[in-house]
Amino acid sequence: MTVEPFTLPIARPGPTMFERFAPGAWRVFIGLVIVAVLMIFIAPVAILIVTSIRPASGIYYIWRGTEFTLQNYVEVLQQPQILHAMFNSFVMATLATVVSLGVTVGSGYMLSRFTGRIQKTWFATIYVFRTVPYISFVLPLYLVTTNLRIYDTYLGLLLPHIAVHVCFFSWLMKGFFDSINPSMEHAALIDGCTRWGAFRRVALPSAMPGIAALSILSWLWTWNEFLFALILTGQRTPMITSTMAQFVTETGTEWNLMSATAVLAMLPALLVTIFGQKYVIRGLRM
Amino acid sequence: MLLLVAPAALVLVCFQIIPIFIGMNASFRDWSLVNPAKTWIGLKHYRDVLSDPVFLYTVLPNTFMLMVSSVVLSLASGLGLALLLNKPFFGRPVVRTVILLPLTVAPVITATMIRWSFNDQFGVITNLLSVLGFPEIGWLSDKWPSFSLIILTDVWIWAPWFTIIILAALQGLPREPFEAAQIDASGKWRTFTHITLPMLKPVIIVCVLIRSIDAFRTFDQVWILTGGGPARETEVFSVYAYVEAFVHLDYGKGAAAAGLGALIMLVVGIGLYKLVNRLMEVSR
Repeated sequence: MTVEPFTLPIARPGPTMFERFAPGAWRVFIGLVIVAVLMIFIAPVAILIVTSIRPASGIYYIWRGTEFTLQNYVEVLQQPQILHAMFNSFVMATLATVVSLGVTVGSGYMLSRFTGRIQKTWFATIYVFRTVPYISFVLPLYLVTTNLRIYDTYLGLLLPHIAVHVCFFSWLMKGFFDSINPSMEHAALIDGCTRWGAFRRVALPSAMPGIAALSILSWLWTWNEFLFALILTGQRTPMITSTMAQFVTETGTEWNLMSATAVLAMLPALLVTIFGQKYVIRGLRM
Repeated sequence: MLLLVAPAALVLVCFQIIPIFIGMNASFRDWSLVNPAKTWIGLKHYRDVLSDPVFLYTVLPNTFMLMVSSVVLSLASGLGLALLLNKPFFGRPVVRTVILLPLTVAPVITATMIRWSFNDQFGVITNLLSVLGFPEIGWLSDKWPSFSLIILTDVWIWAPWFTIIILAALQGLPREPFEAAQIDASGKWRTFTHITLPMLKPVIIVCVLIRSIDAFRTFDQVWILTGGGPARETEVFSVYAYVEAFVHLDYGKGAAAAGLGALIMLVVGIGLYKLVNRLMEVSR
């Protein structure tokens, strides 16, 4: 005699009014929402790109007309200031990323692995100074850099960038190390590794994926940063964001050239979004 | 142990903490160009700022309004987007990539794009709205339209950030409560409010904390979109301090405003931290 296998029936909520009278309408609605979301996030970028490939006479009512040109890019790239600014931003973003990661990796490790008064004080310090609005120390930094004669130089912009990264990156680095099981390091210590060796050979490699993600974001944030560039640099060391802002707020009429500049300034962001999205998502989740 | 923190601490002290004190010192002095001695004038700049109607009745309300509306709206739309993306559908990877754009494009460029799209004569969106028959709105020439444009820009930038973090949290949630809910024939909305939302609470709270602190210092979007105009009506705190120091060339007043802002943020930041700790304990 065989016994029929008995499974508990799963109760389902009955069809809603909506489903009963308009089957499939929900899916159509979701589809429309998705299209709307895509439009909302693509439209401004698309408008900018289209404007940048229109001749000066064609930027008004950019959806009409069929003349396209790369002349705007040629004209923009012929201005030495724009190229100079892009080069400066590139150097600054790279330097700031390398140095800030180097400076904060130790601090994050310490926050994650040690306990005690120093650790507590340091954690409180970085929390408190993360709440300080940038303007509150960039404004006086203008005086400091002028007095140290490093105003409008790489150094004068680099050091404040690192200072502002210290708080946030230490916090993130703590997160990376928190997610790694410390027993590996204990094992390394028992096997005769020094504390430094355990950090360098065991903890650091395991934290690498997080650090790589953070480095990409850090590079982008420095490239995109505006307030520091506006206050701490001038004619000698222009940054791409402040140069662009000058375009927009001062001249404000040559939208085809402005758009071309903006697209050039957006290029790293577009590349990272397309090719490095895995890292961006990982970094932002931390 | 100390050695590990030393470099970070050194940079922090030299380029953040000491400048803050220098800024405080500067805010007590007279910075007019005819006075090279920079005479000590005590609290005059603070009195000026605190009795400046622009600061009291425009800048402070604007700053907090921007902070609250930006955080609430980007949380709501970010959460909605995360729930949408949590289910597989055709083209999901595309949507996921596209929503990263606002987070990687510089706020300066975003603001430029929005400013161009809403240009009063040639902006694509302005024209679209007029074709659709909406009454004409002075997007960048009236206070409330420009201010809502600033909020909109901020939401455009930050909603995806909420989405990505909440989506990660959603995918890490255990399955059992949802299966139990299904067996109990709980509706979609009830499942969401009684299971999903409570489990997401810790993540949401932390996001809101970080975002609120950052929203207070918004500068880039406001500066590019309106420059604080029309007639200083959309200035927020960072713009006010910048304008006083570098446009009106009253460095002391700007420094005083910046100091006051730091003080306000310190109080708000500690208050939020305490609140978060209490909320986290309750939800545990």
